[in-house]
Amino acid sequence: MLYRIRHITHYKYAQRVTRCYNLANVVPRNTEHQMCLKSLVTFSPEPAKARKRTDYFGNKTYNFEIQKPHTELIITAVSDVQINNDTRELDLDLGVSYGDALNYLRQTMNQETIEAREFLLNSPMIESNEALKEYARPSFHIDHSLNSCVSDLTTRIFNDFSYDSNFTTIATPLSDVLEHKRGVCQDFAHLQIGCLRAMGIPARYVSGYIETLPKPGETKLVGADATHAWIAYFCPHEGWVEFDPTNNKQANSQHIVTAFGRDYLDVTPVKGVIFGGGESPRLEVSVDVSRLKE
Amino acid sequence: MTNPSDPQPLGQTQSQSQSSVAETLEYRSLSGLHELDEACAQDNSIKPQWGYLLNSLRDLGSEVLREREQKARRILRDDGATYNIYGREPAPSSNWELDPVPYIIDSEDWGGIEAGLLERAELFNLVLRDLYGPRTLLRHGALPPEALFSHGGFLRACQGIQLPGEHELILHAVDMVRQRGGNMCVLSDRTQAPSGAGYVLENRTVMSRVFPSLFRDSHVHRLASFYQRLRLKLSSLSASEEEPLIVVLTPGGQNETYFEHAHLANYLGYPLVQSGDLLVRNGFLWMKSLDGLKRVDVVLRRVDDIFCDPVELRSDSLLGVPGLLEVVRTRQVVIANPLGSGVLENPTLLKYLPQISKHLLGRELRLDSVKTYWCGDEQDLQFVTANIRELIIKPTYRGSAIKSVWGGDLSEEQVNQLLATIHKKPHQFVAQVRLEKSYTPAFSEGKLEPRPTLLRTFSVATDKSYMVLPGGLTRISTHTHGQVISMQSGSPSKDTWVTATEPERTIVFETTPEISRATKDSALLSLPSRVVENLYWMGRYAERAEASLRLLRTVFVLLNGEDPISPDARRILLQTVTQITVTLPGFIDASDELLASPEEELLLIILDDNRVGSIKSTLNAMLSSADESKELLSTDTIRVINDLRDALDELDFTLAGGLTSAPEEALDPLVTGLAALSGLMQESMIRGVGWRFMELGKRIERSRQIINSVRSLMIPVTEESTQSTLLTALLISMEVMITYRRRGRVRRGIELGLELVMLDDSNPRSLLFQLERLQQLLVKLPQTDTTVGELEEEERALLEATTSLKLSRLSRLLETTSDKRDDMENLLHQLDKLLDDFNRFISDKHFDHRTDPQQLVTTFWDGQ
Repeated sequence: MLYRIRHITHYKYAQRVTRCYNLANVVPRNTEHQMCLKSLVTFSPEPAKARKRTDYFGNKTYNFEIQKPHTELIITAVSDVQINNDTRELDLDLGVSYGDALNYLRQTMNQETIEAREFLLNSPMIESNEALKEYARPSFHIDHSLNSCVSDLTTRIFNDFSYDSNFTTIATPLSDVLEHKRGVCQDFAHLQIGCLRAMGIPARYVSGYIETLPKPGETKLVGADATHAWIAYFCPHEGWVEFDPTNNKQANSQHIVTAFGRDYLDVTPVKGVIFGGGESPRLEVSVDVSRLKE
Repeated sequence: MTNPSDPQPLGQTQSQSQSSVAETLEYRSLSGLHELDEACAQDNSIKPQWGYLLNSLRDLGSEVLREREQKARRILRDDGATYNIYGREPAPSSNWELDPVPYIIDSEDWGGIEAGLLERAELFNLVLRDLYGPRTLLRHGALPPEALFSHGGFLRACQGIQLPGEHELILHAVDMVRQRGGNMCVLSDRTQAPSGAGYVLENRTVMSRVFPSLFRDSHVHRLASFYQRLRLKLSSLSASEEEPLIVVLTPGGQNETYFEHAHLANYLGYPLVQSGDLLVRNGFLWMKSLDGLKRVDVVLRRVDDIFCDPVELRSDSLLGVPGLLEVVRTRQVVIANPLGSGVLENPTLLKYLPQISKHLLGRELRLDSVKTYWCGDEQDLQFVTANIRELIIKPTYRGSAIKSVWGGDLSEEQVNQLLATIHKKPHQFVAQVRLEKSYTPAFSEGKLEPRPTLLRTFSVATDKSYMVLPGGLTRISTHTHGQVISMQSGSPSKDTWVTATEPERTIVFETTPEISRATKDSALLSLPSRVVENLYWMGRYAERAEASLRLLRTVFVLLNGEDPISPDARRILLQTVTQITVTLPGFIDASDELLASPEEELLLIILDDNRVGSIKSTLNAMLSSADESKELLSTDTIRVINDLRDALDELDFTLAGGLTSAPEEALDPLVTGLAALSGLMQESMIRGVGWRFMELGKRIERSRQIINSVRSLMIPVTEESTQSTLLTALLISMEVMITYRRRGRVRRGIELGLELVMLDDSNPRSLLFQLERLQQLLVKLPQTDTTVGELEEEERALLEATTSLKLSRLSRLLETTSDKRDDMENLLHQLDKLLDDFNRFISDKHFDHRTDPQQLVTTFWDGQ
């Protein structure tokens, strides 16, 4: 599958911004399942300096500074991404059991496993605790396959929680999400990561896009898509396996990864510091995922 | 020929002390603790390396030693040596404490310690490189991944940063104590922005002045080469072909070790900068100076790494520079120690150090570290849980909210709470055994007594290896049985003498000549504009305080004088006090009762620190401006400033009884102090940019004070006797009474008074004098614009003010058509406005108007 993704981030300020320093994570990285063939990122106004680099987690990050006074900031990223026809939708119920996975993680000293242990620990936005563990426990059985346990957890989150874009902000703590059983994709991802870590399974945050198909007979609207978030857990012998709790499924060829991290804070699409700008900058994000002919 | 203030030669004092009944200064170890005593052997004899020192001190006698201690204290105070203890009220700064007995380490002993420290610095350098690079320590099982990944000092954004040259770790400090048997044992490593190397310099300077011959005859290793090496190393880090600009980055005057930042910056000859003095533009780091932006090549940082860049590190930090980390990545600036180096302060490393060392160096370290248990290890956690009362519990990350505690000090409930916290986040805690510390002699209440002792050493990277400072910062506990030694708990320091048995070889390095004050002043343009702005404010506040004090004194004298004054005069005088100090509403529109008994309000105008405009608040503002530009002030100036600070503290006592008896006397020390300060500014400051701005501040302030005084006292038309009282007040507070009387033989009255105060350009306190002085100063300010012909805005405003004043006629100004002198009012109003414009143009042009940055995305999760 070949996709073209157009991701526009548009900030409007109440007052003039005299200069700004920012970080942008808006270009898809390469993974086992996908390859970013080309990408073009443009900034308006023109930055005094912009540089692309690879960050600690292997994501593609842009650092840029703007020294011209402005009241709007527009970042446009256009990327072509090839998704492999993978085997991800195969049933993994025969894989390693939860109990064996825990032992494996304790005992194995290969590089992949050592690196995965970083994603067992608390991260800035996710602190695992008894409540999360309690919620997760019914899905986990020592002799069930790890994948079926995670899959069960995914389904329960999907069923128990309702999607509500008015309930949470970036600053809503996880305990509120768990208590009120409401949130958006990013909250569900954080919640599931917290559960998995509490159960001893390394888990990371995945940011990206999902292709939405129009209902039969309707044409797709440009910009109707959005940035999306889901999770990946570390499965011994298999590597990182992605699940999407918002849509109750394993990630597939409609999921395009932008970046991995411990949580949202590691992969925030655009962040940084502005001088001036007045109060509460307005943000508009438009994403368009379209298929290209191969 | 001997100057009485010079330290006296040893021989002379010896004979003096013999003639007086001197207490003997014998040193004895604590009974049963001979093995831990550095100076005293088993048989109570003094160990050879301490012999010369302790014999000399005994010969001096306790009285003389006490005098020397006092002398040392005075020098420290005059140098402004402070260590700020957080939360101590009211004074934010405490004097630096130095014990007059140095810590002696002989060369041979030192050789072993030095070798251990060199090896340790090399190892920590390799660890730093590995942790932000390939992380082989994790792969080879030398360090559990959680020990690294859970540590707050591991900054993922710093992955891959590399410094030019052989070393990542530029400065390495180590805290250690001596054990039974004589070996040193390391308590902790400081790799972030180690403090102390500046205090070491200060301690040494003081000791060598107070004990010149003792110091000379002890063959003490010199310290200077260490700082030369540091300079060479920092210069070598610069990517620039030209002379690099190296700056010292400080969090600012509120920081506990600010004195040392300024002292070190001064000694090394680098500008001392704060967050707002720097900015990132076009991929480079710049310093804002009076003649524009200067590119910075190297930063010696005293700000913890996590605070250095709000874009990628702690987003709520106001101590850093937005975008700094990216400039570091692209190698356009080098920061020492590098960002991320706080990861080495993780005490978990101490537990794994033997295997880490085997992996990276191929052998174990020769210098021992304190036995450390990591709660992230299951067995260690069990041990800690069972033995918590015999252990010191420490968070692995120093930025953590929890402080380290001795388990033995905790109640049952506190132990349970702490254990619960530990079990919840086991990776975040270590436990360490409490080590016995060795004892060294300290001077206390006329005697020598043993005190537990802690030594901090410093190493700096050189081309191929490290160099250890031959000495260090020694600290002792506050009493013989004290266990805690920390600056925050008020522990005194000692100079550390590494003594040679034979005269030291003098090693000559590529010498960088010491920068004289004169050349430094010519380089003032390259100082951060903030420093110069603070000099300007220092000038203004000093003048404002002086004018307010002079007026208050005058008003006290007139109110309490022999001749009664009219109610009108009383009212106008009190209102003038309010006007000049700008402590509205005060006596403006005051009731008759308030005017009849003004003492309480007057007392508040002097003492109320929370009231802007009060004497205290103005002087405090002056003192804090002085602190910010400390590196430009001479030793004499700092001494006068310290006197002012003391006089200000005393004011509360002298005025404790209210204003009942001669209150003007209480203000005299402050007026004298300010006059001395003003004299020093005139007599011993080089006429550079700094002086010009200070003078500018002073002249602007004085002009406005004259305008306000004349306005308040002379505009109202009053009856003869009131008029005379008010004129007297004006003339006394403006210091021209004597001239007035002398000239008054020919003519007298308000016209002569006004002429003296406003138009007499031979009177250094007249308004015209101030304006003409401002004009002279203006032409010498650095000009960014080189437009020829057309006047700059500030020149225009000043010229208009001067001309209007010169063209005015006294007779017209004094005309009385209504209850006030309208022409005078109009003129003063116009002058006031023009001066205001002038001031604004100057400050827009030369000073930086900083706006604080804000985050684009706000989250709660920064306090991790």
